[in-house]
Formats: sequence, structure tokens, C-alpha cells
Amino acid sequence: MSTNHDPRLAVTIAGINFNNPVLGASGTFGYGLEFAELIDLNRLGGFVTKGLSAKPLSGNPPPRIVETHGGMLNAIGLQNIGARAFVEEKLPLLRRYDTRVIANVFGYSDDEYVEAITMLNDGEGIAAYELNISCPNVKEGGIVIGNSPSAAARLTASAKRASSRPLIVKLSPNVTDVGEVAHAIADAGADCLSLINTVVGMSIDVKTRRPRLSYGTGGLSGPAIRPIAVRMVYEAAKAVDLPLIGIGGIASTSDALEFMIAGATAVQIGTANYYDPAITMRVVDGLSDYCAINDIARIGDITRSLMTE
Amino acid sequence: MIDIVGITETNQEIAPGYRLLRLALDQDVEVRPGQFAMLKPRHAREPLLRRALAIYRIDGTRRISFLYQVLGRGTEALAQIGEGGEVETMLPLGNSWPLPRADERAIVAAGGIGSASVLMLCEELKKAAVNTTVFFGAANAVAAVGCGLDDFGSFGFPLTLSTVDGSAGEHALVTAPLERSLKQGGGRGSTIYACGPWAMMKRVSELADQFEVNCFASLEAPMGCGFGVCVGCVVAVRTEETLGYGSYKRVCTDGSIFNAKTVRWDINTIGH
Repeated sequence: MSTNHDPRLAVTIAGINFNNPVLGASGTFGYGLEFAELIDLNRLGGFVTKGLSAKPLSGNPPPRIVETHGGMLNAIGLQNIGARAFVEEKLPLLRRYDTRVIANVFGYSDDEYVEAITMLNDGEGIAAYELNISCPNVKEGGIVIGNSPSAAARLTASAKRASSRPLIVKLSPNVTDVGEVAHAIADAGADCLSLINTVVGMSIDVKTRRPRLSYGTGGLSGPAIRPIAVRMVYEAAKAVDLPLIGIGGIASTSDALEFMIAGATAVQIGTANYYDPAITMRVVDGLSDYCAINDIARIGDITRSLMTE
Repeated sequence: MIDIVGITETNQEIAPGYRLLRLALDQDVEVRPGQFAMLKPRHAREPLLRRALAIYRIDGTRRISFLYQVLGRGTEALAQIGEGGEVETMLPLGNSWPLPRADERAIVAAGGIGSASVLMLCEELKKAAVNTTVFFGAANAVAAVGCGLDDFGSFGFPLTLSTVDGSAGEHALVTAPLERSLKQGGGRGSTIYACGPWAMMKRVSELADQFEVNCFASLEAPMGCGFGVCVGCVVAVRTEETLGYGSYKRVCTDGSIFNAKTVRWDINTIGH
């Protein structure tokens, strides 16, 4: 199938050419194929898979999600089919589409991350890895690593050595100084940073006085977290020269542009895919319109273009 | 599965707290009994997520109805939609009720607004001339009307009404007359189709085990997406396969209808 891509929207990150800077975010885009009936995957810049671990994971008990004002809390616990099943069952089907597939990788220890990457290295059709060091819903790995610059740097270096592909590291917002973590990860060899993952939150049922999620706390996503995310992308852009992918509550073209102006080369759309599954397509079209109206030759020209004076 | 904008033809209150929403669609859809849709008023910013509603009825291929109880932010927002109002509608979603063979009998157990999931099933059973008995339970007489009692009465199947407060029919939970019927041998050669509150379906499942009757239940869970990607609506199931999607199944795409034997009624908390 041939798709006419707007050449103004093409971006390159760590040597990977994306037809446009609009990607589906990990955990909200399944394994991509779920969206094939709803959107034209060939028009999507790319997407990031649900977090993949070396062994399949069963995740947390229900209830796993609760809606809040302007967002939702989730504590899925990384239920996934495992890296091997992804390579064997999903990748062959994904290769039919002209979109970049980024595999999100998770482990409970550095060795497990490396094991998952090694399995995925065998798969044809993966553009890059996104290292999930920021999941708030597991007791080991994830956020425990992402909160420590030294642990994050150590894992990044191990993952980079194991990886046959560019490495994106997904940062947590649940840190005091994102610049410090970004620095450490950049020095350890990451090719790109994506941010933010969900913000740790909690919701309580006042009738039962119990948390609404079985895990107790969960990750807040959706439009409610967007200003936090824009601020953190801006801070990361000041701290490192690496390309950045902005994530956090994007639900419109204008939201995506905010992230790009703050410092992002591309964006990932997450929670909005749940209630508006064609949102990625509309943002792609919206970015084309923005380029046309503002006489922008390449969308990359607006990256890091924030006026502060 | 399509995602389209439905136009509201009616959104009328059937009984206090219960409404019937009928949408006109500009595309043909094919719906099987027990399937559901994800709905939200178009352009509404709050609540964020769509709500899963069972498809109550379809007239032809472009007119679709939902019977719902106004219970929270999502259904309150739907209740505000007037004639001509636009509704974001993704459908049809989920699996469907497995129909019995012509020589088998059917027992339909509807508890509260769970009735919405089994009206189309009753239509199919009627068409297929399956010997069917209906057990219809509600909180009270008003709720029974709100849950579509009149529609269920129109099939001519033997129907036992029970209410929690005794204001109509038998003063009992819907499971009491069901149990009595099973004790009298009413379950022989039958399949039970259950939809209602968690505790009710759990009890129906226990009765099905006790009397060795096949039983399917349509489950409900808070859903993020309705089409399998958020993995938020899971239910614990009995399986040899303890990893991956093995021990937790998605209500939206692996269900919403499950063989009652496979559901871990002992440990799930959905619907409480």
C-alpha cells in the first residue's frame, strides 16, 4: 500500500527515519495490530509496544484502572506476552505496515532487561528499543531504577552493549531533578530520551476506605499531566543535547506542538488513544496544516524553538 | 469494529434512573447477542473515557438501542444527550452468547440492568424456537420496568419475576427461584445465560456447578478502551497457563462472555 506522506513532517532520530513525528505510546497501543481496523497504520510515524519482558508477565490483580478528573490511574503491572512471542507472533504481521515499530523493554533486574533485548535482537522489523525504567506499578525494576541516576546509567550502559538497535530511555516524572537523570543516561550511551511516564497517584473509595486500585497506587495519565510533562521536556532539553520524544496527555495538534517547541523531536500519544482511537491521524493532519499555515519547511524546525524573551 | 458518530433519536427515561438511548448510524453494523459498544457524548471533555454499554437491540442494521442505568459520571453525561445529539460510538465489541442446539433448552437469568445484555439473546432463542425460561430480578417494581421487564414479557417465555424488596413478583433474589427450578430438574439439557451483579453471577455459577448445568456469564468491568489495548478490564480465570494473558483475561476482547467455570469467582473483586 502506498501512502502519500507530507515530506515536511519527516523526522530522523538516532538514524531512524520516521514519516512523521506522531507515535503511539507504550501501554496504550497494544502491539499495534489492534489499531489496524481503526486507523491507517501506514500513516502513523510509529508506535511503541506494550512493555515486553523476557518471560510473559501476568500483571496485577483487578481493579487496574480508575478514571479521575482529566485523566486516569492505572496499575496494569506490565501484563505482556513476552519478547519471544512478540517476535514470533506479532512482528511478522507488523512488517506489512510502513510504520516504525519501537519495542518497549522491561525487566525486574538488569539481567532481565538484557535478556529481553537479546531475544528482540532476533526480530526483524524493530526500529529501536525503548527502555522502561519508569513504570510505577511494579515493585522491582521500572521506577526503582529510573529514580536513581547511577542505577539508570548502569542499566543504560548494559542495555546499549546488548542492543543491536538505537536505544531510547523512557524517563520517570517522579524525580526531583530530571536533568540529573537525563545527564547520567546520556553519558551512559542512550541515543534518545522519551518522557514522561505516568505520575504516581492514588484514589480512595471513601465508602470502603480502600484504594480504588488493587495495587494501592497507580500511574496518572491523560490531559491532567500535560503541563508537568511539557515542563520536564523543557528541562531535559536544557540538560542534554540528545533528541527527545515528548509524552504526557497529548490530545490535540496544539498539545503535540507544545512538546516540540519545548524540545521534543517527536511525540507519543497515549491515553487519548483509548477514547479517541483516530487521534494520531488527526494530529498528523494537524501538523501538516500547521506547517502550511506558518510556512514551515520541516516540522523539525520548531523543535527547541521556545521563545523565552 | 467501527468507530462512528451516532445521532440520538431518543434518550428517554423508562423509569426513574433508567433510560433507553436509540442511535441512528450512517453505516451498517452487524451485531451478535451479548456484544457491547463504547459510548461518549461527542466532544465531551469530561469524563474522559467512553463507557461500555451492552447493545440492547438493533433494528435493521443502522438503528441501535442501549438500555442503561444512570450510575456515575459516564452514564450521567450520556443521560444529558438530547434528540439529535451526537454520540461517539465504537461497536460491535466483545464476543457473543453461544446459542444452544435446537434440542437443548435455555435458562436466562437477568439481574438488574444486566438484562440489557440478554434481550437480543432472547430474540435469537425465540427465532430458533429454543425452549426458554427467564428469571428476571430487580431491586423493586420500578427498577424492573427500568430494566426492560415489558420487553422480556413480549417473547411469551415463562418468566419468573423477583424483586429484592418484594414490591413486584417474588420477594427474593433472582437466584432463589432459579435454584428452586434447578432442584425440580429444570436444568436438564439446559444452558444458563447469566448477566447481572457480580454476587448474583457468582451464585448462579455455583448453582450451575451443583446441578451440573452449562453456564455462561457476561461480565462487567471498568474499561479504558474496550478493544483490548489498555489491559485494564481483566478478570482472573482458571487456567494452566499462568503467565502472559493466561491468568488474567480481558473482559473487553476475551469476553465479555465467559464460561462460568473458567472465572475465578473466589478472588475477583470487579463489580463489587
